[in-house]
Formats: sequence, structure tokens, C-alpha cells
Amino acid sequence: MIDWLVLAIAVPLLGSVVAAALPGRASAIGLATAVLTTGSALAASLVVAEGGSLRSDLGGWGAPLGIALAADGLSAALLVMSNLVALGISVYALDYFSGGVRRHFWPLWLLLWTSLNGVFLAADLFNVYVTLELLGISAAALGALSGRPDAVAANLRYLLVGLLGSMTYLLGVALLYTELGTLDIGLAAEALVPGPLAHTAFALMLGGLLLKAALFPLHFWLPPAHSQAPAAVSAALSALVVKAAVYLVLRLWMDLFGPVAGPGAGAMLGVLGAAAVVWGSWRAFRAERLKLLAAYSTVAQVGYLFLFFPLLAIAPPPEREALLGALVLLALTHGFAKAGLFLAAGLLQKRVGHDRIDELGPAIQSLPVVGLTLGLAGVALIGLPPSGTFIAKWILLAESIGAGQWWWAPVVLIGTLLASAYVYRLLANAFGPAAQAEPAAEGALAPIGRLAQAPALLMTLVAVVVLGLGGEPLWGLLEGVGP
Amino acid sequence: MGVRHSLIIGLLALIGATLAWVYWDALIGHAGTRLAGLALERVPESGVSNPVTAVLLNFRAYDTLLELAVLLAAILGIWSSGPEARGFLPAGPVLGALTSWVVPLLILAAGYLLWVGGHAPGGAFQAGALLGAAGVVLRLSGEPSAGLPPLPWLRVGIGLGVLIFTLTGLALMALGQGFLTYPAASAKWLILMIETAATLSIGATLAAAYLAGEPVPARSTTQQPGGTRP
Repeated sequence: MIDWLVLAIAVPLLGSVVAAALPGRASAIGLATAVLTTGSALAASLVVAEGGSLRSDLGGWGAPLGIALAADGLSAALLVMSNLVALGISVYALDYFSGGVRRHFWPLWLLLWTSLNGVFLAADLFNVYVTLELLGISAAALGALSGRPDAVAANLRYLLVGLLGSMTYLLGVALLYTELGTLDIGLAAEALVPGPLAHTAFALMLGGLLLKAALFPLHFWLPPAHSQAPAAVSAALSALVVKAAVYLVLRLWMDLFGPVAGPGAGAMLGVLGAAAVVWGSWRAFRAERLKLLAAYSTVAQVGYLFLFFPLLAIAPPPEREALLGALVLLALTHGFAKAGLFLAAGLLQKRVGHDRIDELGPAIQSLPVVGLTLGLAGVALIGLPPSGTFIAKWILLAESIGAGQWWWAPVVLIGTLLASAYVYRLLANAFGPAAQAEPAAEGALAPIGRLAQAPALLMTLVAVVVLGLGGEPLWGLLEGVGP
Repeated sequence: MGVRHSLIIGLLALIGATLAWVYWDALIGHAGTRLAGLALERVPESGVSNPVTAVLLNFRAYDTLLELAVLLAAILGIWSSGPEARGFLPAGPVLGALTSWVVPLLILAAGYLLWVGGHAPGGAFQAGALLGAAGVVLRLSGEPSAGLPPLPWLRVGIGLGVLIFTLTGLALMALGQGFLTYPAASAKWLILMIETAATLSIGATLAAAYLAGEPVPARSTTQQPGGTRP
């Protein structure tokens, strides 16, 4: 019997060991593993889409003694997005990294992928902690691959912040286990009664995960770490690693802490999210460098995701489903769009050796496909139709006004306006006369292969066209998720 | 100490007191059994008689597999940060003699702990820690390789635990048992095999971590004991 849930984790893990043992063939092994992993994850998601949900008791002991893997519509949605984005990043990495860095990149990248799939499929509170540790260590090591002192410093801080986040989470798990005597999320949810312990554990676990999700004001570590990492890694950090923490917040909010997570906690997350939207968008607008712009834009986009929580906390079932679908759609769209933006930024940086926004004109004009990618990513980040972001923001606005919480609407509008400003500031380079005045010195521009440009373009196309026009089935997939 | 420091200390003390109170409350307010009772009850089915090993290598083997992957990520991260630090000077006669006594004893003790883990405190992590310590002692006494094999073999060694663990799980799945579901008859030997591989990996990883970087294949630049002989 083939257990796709297990394969989605075991395949990249094996691939990592083999790639580490055979550094000379790391790229070939890495790409083969990437294809097989994506296949397993897609197969698992397909089964979920057809059958509702999947569960697999590892070791055959069953909960509460053993550990289980589980997938429902929410896991499946994030699994599909993460694995497709990761596959795109893998193809991009073939060309992006030089020989010396390649043998370090592949094993660590496959371990990061293992832990991502592990997070999305985990059904055990302690197992979540172990996957978070693997995620944090491999992500920080990848972020520091360039070896430059500022990149190492930023990612060392990222590592320490991540450790603080997971230890805080673990403290909450320990408290819960003391009270409930089980680590399985489903069994713990059945046994949980509202009280001081449940509130304390909720606060600790939520706090730890918010630190990893970089929700304002806990975002301080993100811009330097994400902007200093190699572009292929930045894409994974911003599009996927941060999403894993947001996913866990949502998972615990709905499946475990339902009786504790009330309107008060929702409102707090909403206020922090609103601050993140405004502050992150403003800093992105003021950024001098493209990768820093993209990193601050992630801070803002994470903020949007948390704007849904105050509404989720009070919404009756039909509205709840609409909101949950919009929240996931926004997360998926941002995953594809931000990965595409970072990959495109990496190509521009390779082309001209820097990523100073105001001097990127010649690079963008000489690479029309990358220019198109930037434009499409911009459409998705602003939330113009037909992107998935547009639909998600539309539902967010409608639901917040419908629920009488109109004050979230101006936040969305300000964020959108600022996003338009920073995207136009970037795209103006593609048309500006200043750039045309620049002599087209062919020798100064590094060659960029076609294969390297394809993943970013495809990802942004998915964000704008596929998720925007074909996002409907997502609501069907998410049916039955949550309490 | 300013007002700010006192404020932070006061806040931390308050958080600590809250946590302690909640923990105490949970500890005394809890009537039912936790997992320990259930785990002890099922130990005879696990293939080993040491309950800790039963939990780590059987009931929650998947966690242990991922923890080995965390160690792998750590050493790969260290290697990606640059070449190893310079070696130490060769040991004097007293330390050299001591090392030649201590290292074999550490290896022997590691083997013992690995075997005894099945029915008494011990196991792969303890045994691997001793192997790692043997490597550190060797390195401190001037052996540049820290007792580790050449880099191509070391690359296999650091992943051996994860490799054997995962392949065992997948083989059992292919046989229709489910991932890491050991048949009762062979559980003991499967666990011993996984633990042996894990011990070697943990030992190699810890000793290699002490080099603080990727080992440099050509050791000709490092001072070799006896290398000055005409």
C-alpha cells in the first residue's frame, strides 16, 4: 500500500541524505527528488480532494501512544502551493547557484522541504515542534549560504529568534500535556476545557508561532534575513516558511483552541495585522533595494492574513466558510506571487550585480520576460483583478462591513494604495526615459538563460490567472475544515 | 540598575509566577492517567524492555527520525559556513598517553551503551555522545581528523542514521506493514540496526561539529605528529 502522506516527507528526507553523500551529483539528485516529492504531495492532495481527509498512524500504535500524519482540505491546499512553488525554486536553483554553493544548497533545501511537508501534515503537538526545529535550522543555514558577514549576522538572529519562538511554543505544549495527557491535536481538543491553563497554553503557543510568522511588532528579524539570503532561498523563506507558521496559528485556532480563541484574541490579532499592513507597506514603499521591498511587502501581506481573525472569531458558519476560503486564497496567491517576485529580483541582481530599485531600468528593459513577471507579481501584491488577492480582499471588505467592523476596510484600502505605489515605483523603471538614456553596454550585462526565467513567470501567472479565475474549487476543498 | 531593568525583571517574575501557578494547578488538578501508564503497558509489544527506548524508537519513532534530521541539518549548516578551523598542536607525552587510553575506553563504553539501551538506560544518543567525545579528545590532542573518516565517507556517515531509519520505514511500508510499523518478531533487531546506524551518525556529527567547518581534504598544511622527521 502506498502512503502518500509518508512519501511526501520520506522522499525529500532520503533525497537530502543522498545529495549530501554525493556532492558532485547534488543537482541531479535534488531535481529528481523535487519531482518525486511534488508528485507525492499532489497525489496526497488529490486523495483529500476526492475523499475528504487522510490519516496515517505511524508505527501502527494509533493516538494517543503513537504519532499520526493527517491531511484535510486546509493541509492539502497549502501542500499543493508549497510543493509547486518549491519545485519552481528547484528548477530555478539549477542555474542560479554555482558549483561550490550547489553542494551545500541541495541537501539543506531538501531538509527544509521535508519539514514544510511535515508541518502541513502533522497531527501531533510535539511533532509540530520537531518539524519547526528542522524548519528553523535549515532555513537559517540556507539564508546564510552566501557567507557574507551581514547575511550570516541576519540569519544567526533569525535562528535565535526562531529558537525562542519554538521554545515558547514547546512550553505551551508541555502545559497542555500536563493537563490533558495527550499530544494528539484531535484528542487534546476533545479534552480541553476553558480555564487558566488553556488560556496560558494558548498565549504561549500563539506567541511562539507569531514570532515565527513575523506578525508586527515581531517582524523585526524578517527584512534583513529575507533580503540578505540568496534569491532562491528568499523566495522559499517569504513564500513558504512564514506561511507554515501562519498555517499552524490557523490550525490551532480552529482545531484545538476553539473554546478559548474568542473575539478578544481575534481583535488583538486584527489590530497587529492592521499595523503590519500599514507599516510593512510603508517600509516597502521607502525601500531602496528590491529584495528589501519584497521582504517588507511580506510583512504587510502577513498582516492581511491576520485581519481575517477578528472576523473568523465572530462569524456564523456560512460567513466563516467564505472567510476561511478567502484567507487561504490570499495565502496561496501571496505564496506564488512573492516567490515569483524574489526569483525575478534574483535574475535582475545577477544581470547587473545589484538590486537598487532606481537603477534597475536597463536590467528590466533587457529582460522583457522578467519585466512581465514583475508586473504580474505587482498585480497580485496590489490585489488588482483578476488575481486571487483581489477576490480575497473583496471578501474581507464585504465581510468586515457586513459584521459591523468597518474599521478594517480603511486599513485594506491604505495598504492597497501603498502597494500600488511601491509596485509603480518599481515598474516605472521599465518605461522611464532615464533608463533609455543609459548606454546599452552589452558587456556589462550577465547572460540569463530562458530556463531560469520560466519558474518565476509561471508562478506569477498562477497567482494572477489560475487562482484568480479558477479559485472557486478551493471553497469546496475547505468544506468541513475546522470545528 | 535602572528603572527599565527593574521593570523587565518584575515583568519576567510575574510571567514566571503565572506559569508556575498554572503548572501547579494542572499538576494537582489532574485526575486521569497520562501517557506513561499506557506506554508502560505496551512496552512488552515494542521489542525492547527499556521504556525510554520503546518510546523513542518505536511508539514515537517518527519524532526521533526527524530529530536525527535536525542533527543532519545542523552539521550541513556548519559545513556550508566555511572550511574547518585550524587544528591544535600535537599533545605532549602525558596527554598523548592518556588519549591512547581514554579513546578506546570511550568507544568501548559507546558500544556497551548502544547494546544495553534495549533493556536499561542507554541507547543511540548516549552512545553517539560518547563517540563524539572521543573525537573531541582526539582533536584536542592534535589529531587533525578528530578520528573521523575521509570526507567522502564522512558525508555518508552523517546521514547514515536517517538513511537506515527511513529505508527501514519505507521497506516495512512496501511490505504492507505501514511506515515504521515493526513486526513483533523482528522489532528488536530492526531497532538495534537503526540504533547502530544512528550511533555512528550522531558520533560523527558531534565530532565533525567540533571542527567548526567543512573538513579540508588535503591535510598537508596541518602540523602532523612526526611530520618534522628528516
